[in-house]
Amino acid sequence: MSEIKDTVISDQKIYGSAFKVRLNRNLEIIKNVLSNPTTVIGLIIVILMILMALFAPIITEPNSPDPYQMPRDWKAARSAPLTPGHILGTTNRGGDVFYGVVWGARTSLKLSLLVVSLTLVLGVIIGSVAGIAGGKVDEVLMRIVDVFLSIPELIFALAIAAILGPSFTNIILALVVVFWVKYARIMRAQVIRIKQREYVDAAKIMGASKLQIYLKDILPNSFSPVMVQATLDMGNIVLVGATLSFIGLSEAGIAEWGVLVSEGQAGISAGRWWASTFPGLMVFLWALAFNLVGDGLRDVLDPRTETRR
Amino acid sequence: MVQTTPSNLNSFSNDLIASVEDLKVYFHSKEGLTHSVDGVSFDIIDGEIMGLVGETGCGKSVTARSFMQLVQTPPGVIAGGKIRFKSKKTGNQIVDLLSLTENQIRELRGERIAMIFQDPGKALNPGLTIRTQIAEVFQEHREDDVFKKAKIDHIHKNFIGAILQKYIKQQTNLIIKLMLLVPPIRAYKKKLDKAIDKLVIEALAETQIPNPEKVMERYPHELSGGMKQRVMIAQAIACNPDLLIADEPTTALDVIVQARILELITELQKRHKTSVLYISHDLSLVRKICDRVAVMFAGKIVESGDSDTIFKNPVHPYTKGLIKASFMTHERGKLEEIEGIETK
Repeated sequence: MSEIKDTVISDQKIYGSAFKVRLNRNLEIIKNVLSNPTTVIGLIIVILMILMALFAPIITEPNSPDPYQMPRDWKAARSAPLTPGHILGTTNRGGDVFYGVVWGARTSLKLSLLVVSLTLVLGVIIGSVAGIAGGKVDEVLMRIVDVFLSIPELIFALAIAAILGPSFTNIILALVVVFWVKYARIMRAQVIRIKQREYVDAAKIMGASKLQIYLKDILPNSFSPVMVQATLDMGNIVLVGATLSFIGLSEAGIAEWGVLVSEGQAGISAGRWWASTFPGLMVFLWALAFNLVGDGLRDVLDPRTETRR
Repeated sequence: MVQTTPSNLNSFSNDLIASVEDLKVYFHSKEGLTHSVDGVSFDIIDGEIMGLVGETGCGKSVTARSFMQLVQTPPGVIAGGKIRFKSKKTGNQIVDLLSLTENQIRELRGERIAMIFQDPGKALNPGLTIRTQIAEVFQEHREDDVFKKAKIDHIHKNFIGAILQKYIKQQTNLIIKLMLLVPPIRAYKKKLDKAIDKLVIEALAETQIPNPEKVMERYPHELSGGMKQRVMIAQAIACNPDLLIADEPTTALDVIVQARILELITELQKRHKTSVLYISHDLSLVRKICDRVAVMFAGKIVESGDSDTIFKNPVHPYTKGLIKASFMTHERGKLEEIEGIETK
C-alpha cells in the first residue's frame, strides 16, 4: 500500500449496501425489543406519561402565575369524581385532582431527568477516574462510595432533604447525593473489566492516545449497565421523591403526586378516596413502567442475563 | 548453550531492522520475582520472517509486548536490555524502544510497528464498525494520503485545510463541528469521508475479504473468526509498517483458515517487504514460513539460526524434544478444502 491506487468503486455500491446493512441491523434491534410483551407495555406507559407531561398546558389550562402550583377552587372543595369541571374530583382544599395528576407528571419528569442526568455524569466521572487510576485514588474513592452505600437510600435522602429545608430543589439535591454512588460503582467495575481487554491494547498499538482509548474503547463498551441502571432509576427516583414530598419536604401546594397524596390523605377515612388514589396510582404506574423498560433493556443490551420469555 | 549469543551484540549492522539485546523482563508475583524473559537476544534482518518458537509460558509473548512497551509495570519490571529498532521513515534512525517516552513510542506504534493478536475476536472493539476501526489507522497516521485520495491536497495548507485536518485527526470541538456544517467545507468533508471509505475498502480487499464494502459496515460479532483475523491484518498493514509482530495469529483458527491466513501473511510480507516477527508454538508452521528461527525455553533463547538448519540438525535437547513432539516426521500434503458458504 505504498502507493495510492485509484480503484473505481462507485459511490452507489458503497453507500447502497452499507445503508442496507445498517437498516437491517436497526430493524433487528427494534424487533428484539418489541418481542418482549412486558417491555412493550412498559414502553407504552412511559410514552403516554411523557406525552402527558409535555402537553400538560394543552390538556389543562395552566394556573397563573405559577403553573406548578395547584389551582384552588374553594367553592368546589371535596367534590367527587365526574363533577363537571373536575373530572377526578377535588381535594378538601379545593385542588383539582386531574390538574395535579397531569402537572405532577411534568414535575416527575423534571425531577427524574434532572436527577438521573446529574447522577449519571457525576457517577460516570468518579467511577472512570477510580477505574483508570487504580491504586490509592481508587481505594479512597471507593471507600467514600461504600460509606454512602451503607446508609439506606430513603433514610439518607430524607435526612439530607430535612437538613436543607423543605423545597423541591432540595429534594433534587438530596436525591443526587444519594443516587450517584451506584453509577460510580458500576462504572468503576466496568472500566476495570474493559481496560484489560485486548482491543484496548490493540488500540494502543495503533497509536491511539489515552483520551481516544477512553472515549472510543472504554466508555462506550462499559456504558450499557449504566444505561440500564439509569432507566430503572428514572422510576425509583420518582418513588423516593414522592415519598419525600408526601412527608412534607417539598413546597406546599405544588402540583406533585406525593404532595397530592398527602393532601388527600385526611379525606380517606371520610370516604373521599379519589384525592389520594389517582396520584398514588400514577406513582405506581410510573415506577412500574420504567422498571419494565429497564428490564427489557437489560435483556437486549446484555445477552448473558437469562430472558424470561 | 549453542549459538545463543549473536556475534554482533554491540553493533547494529545495516541489514537489521531490529535487534533485541539481553532483554530481561521480570514479574512480581506472590512467590517472588518471576524471570519471564531472562536475557534474550536475537536480531531481525530487514525483510525476513523471523520465527520465535517455544512452549506456552516461555516468555514469547512478553518479548513481543516489550517491543511496544505493552508490558504492564507494575507488576512487570523491565530489568535490563535493549530493543533497538531502525525507523526507516525517519532516515534509518536507530532508537531503543525500551527507553522511549510514551509520546515517542506512540508515534512508532501502528505506523512503524504493528501487531496481530492471537484471538481476533478479542482484539476488535465490539462497539465499533469495521470501517471505524480501520479508518482510525488512516486518520491517525496517513492523513496526507486521505487528502490525496480525496484529490483535495491543494487545500492542505490553508485555513480550511487546517479545519479538515482537525476533523481527520478527530480533534474536533464544538467550533470545528459547526464550521464543518458550512457548505463548502461540508463538501470537502464528504469527499474526505468517501476517500477514507475507499482506503478502508482497499485495505480490506488486500486481505481478500469478499465484498469489503459490506463487511466494513459490520460489527465484529457479525464476522467469523477468519474474517476478523483478516480485518486485524488489514488494520495492521494499513500503514505499511516496517515490522509486523504476529503473536500466534492462527492459534484460534481452524486448520483451513489457518493455512489461508498464513498464505496471506507471507504474500503481504513479500509485496510490502515488511519484516515479520512470527511467534508460535507450532513448529511445522514456523518451518514453512520463517527464514530464521529462535527457540525459546524458560525465558531464554536456547537455539537460533537458519530455520532449515535448526530443523535438520537440532543441537539443544529441548529443540530435539520439540521437533519430536510435533508431527514433523512426514510432510503434510495439500489440504483439500470443500467449497462452503461465502458471504454475498
